[in-house]
Amino acid sequence: MLYKLAAGLLISAFMATTAFGQTISVEGEVTTPLKLSVADIAKMKKTEVTAADRDGKTHRYSGVPVTDILQQAGVTLGAQLRGENMAKYLLVKSGDGYEVLFSLAELDAAFTDRVVILADQVDGKPLPDGKGPFRIVVPGEKKPARWIWEVTTMTVRFAKD
Amino acid sequence: MKKCWWLIWSGVLALSFLSGRVSYAPQPYVLEYPASFGHRINTPADNPLTKEGVYLGRLLFYEKQLSAGNKISCGTCHEQQRAFTDGKTFSTGVDDVPTDRNAMSLVNLLWVRNFFWDGRAPGLELQAITPLTAPHEMGQPLEVAAQKLQQSTLYPGLFNAAFGSDQISGDRITKALAQFERTLISADSRYDQYLEGRYQPDSAALRGLQLFSTAPAPEKKIRGANCTHCHGGPKFYIELYHNNGLDSLPRDAGREKQTGVAADRGRFRVPTLRNIALTAPYMHDGRFNSLEEVLDHYSEHIVSSASLSPVLRQTSNEAGGNSLRLTKREQKDIIAFLHLLTDSSFINNPNFSNPFN
Ligand code: HEC
Ligand code: HEC
Repeated sequence: MLYKLAAGLLISAFMATTAFGQTISVEGEVTTPLKLSVADIAKMKKTEVTAADRDGKTHRYSGVPVTDILQQAGVTLGAQLRGENMAKYLLVKSGDGYEVLFSLAELDAAFTDRVVILADQVDGKPLPDGKGPFRIVVPGEKKPARWIWEVTTMTVRFAKD
Repeated sequence: MKKCWWLIWSGVLALSFLSGRVSYAPQPYVLEYPASFGHRINTPADNPLTKEGVYLGRLLFYEKQLSAGNKISCGTCHEQQRAFTDGKTFSTGVDDVPTDRNAMSLVNLLWVRNFFWDGRAPGLELQAITPLTAPHEMGQPLEVAAQKLQQSTLYPGLFNAAFGSDQISGDRITKALAQFERTLISADSRYDQYLEGRYQPDSAALRGLQLFSTAPAPEKKIRGANCTHCHGGPKFYIELYHNNGLDSLPRDAGREKQTGVAADRGRFRVPTLRNIALTAPYMHDGRFNSLEEVLDHYSEHIVSSASLSPVLRQTSNEAGGNSLRLTKREQKDIIAFLHLLTDSSFINNPNFSNPFN
């Protein structure tokens, strides 16, 4: 209980400094475009994954499965992920301008056991300055180049060619 | 003088050519660039490049009538010999009041998506409105610029050739300028020639390249400068915004002014390092006069703050160091490499030069 309270306080202090005014937009090929605030994401169900960052050390990351967010926006996953929807991708953007791409199939639980999360904590603490409030964590990937930090936008699109 | 006659003559030629024709048929301008630059280029559908448009844009780039009092042109602050910069900390326009930021190099803009040090202009056509009208730059409303050109003997025919009627407007002026700027491609430096096997750099420059492209890892005894993380790829920039540790409390908040987000404080767009030896002074406020000072900054003086780039935190050749801690010789080697990025065919390309000289 106390621990939870402390964590809550920590998170709100953090929100007051770095995360102020920041939201994550979910847009593109969605039925419901979303603008998620830190508070919105705090209400969602959390998952924990362990994975090694660039420092080579294994850390515990906690956050929301990316597919839960996509599902909330009405992205074609699960039974709908077939046919032309197989040509859809998710582009994730950072506040610093960096962009990384995932095909929908490499995120979907019907295709893979790997759970890609939108993390807001590492080893029980908020992400450090510059990397938060939210960072994508891709367990099992050898190089963390897709662990994009300071996520601001998630866009689903059809590949054009 | 000879050139001037030739200009008028080509204007007249364009006029007579077009008045004798019903349809207007400008010739497409074919851009040439290395495949390694990628095709993520930005030309709006309503402003395709044509030979006529690019030529007109070049004249306009050097046209002083586009400024209040006919004092300066774009070329005053963007000189070809300096890779389209002006060698000043801050530039001065028609009112002699210094600009807020250092003049940027105009190179490989075809791939840039958001212009200016803070990325506030999403497109070259839109970008051009700022220097044309800003009081400390050319200081003249677009309508006035258009009227002046309309009354000239030279321009109506050239606008006709480029856009299909001799009507001159602010919109067409910015379109032609943007067309010319998209042709400013630099891809023939000695580094490019080295990649093609046409040039052999000396060992200092090769050591510099190695450091430039390597992330330091003191625990594994790997020395590096990690410059490619931000200034990487064939174009020597990635379109990212970072705070590279110049100040703890920046006088110019940079991208934060655009977004209002605290994480953007002191963040600026990563500039290209192509032709970097020609474009001193350096940084958005021109605070460094030489590449030696730039390397000294990254090596010894990274200032920490809440918005300092994570890429520059704890990135050092010394365990626990807060700056790169390169040796003097390593800094010299990196500078030797940076000199390979000077493209003399770009700064001497006659198609980019002032046609009025
Ligand atoms: C008085 C000097 C001055 C004049 C005249 C001037 N510029 Fe600039 N230019 C600057 C400065 C300073 C910047 C950076 C401003 C900033 O980031 O806020 C700049 C930036 C630019 C950029 C952005 C490049 C990039 O990579 O984002 C372009 C493009 C540009 N100028 C084109 C032009 C054109 C076209 C004209 C003529 C219509 C022109 N400039 C006239 C000083 C000038
Ligand atoms: C974290 C990203 C990042 C890294 C890593 C980085 N830079 Fe930069 N660099 C920037 C940014 C951002 C600017 C513009 C900053 C400003 O003007 O406030 C810049 C500016 C420069 C400039 C001035 C350019 C101009 O047109 O004025 C030079 C030169 C430069 N960097 C060289 C280097 C070298 C050499 C390295 C490696 C030792 C390096 N940079 C590493 C982000 C980075």
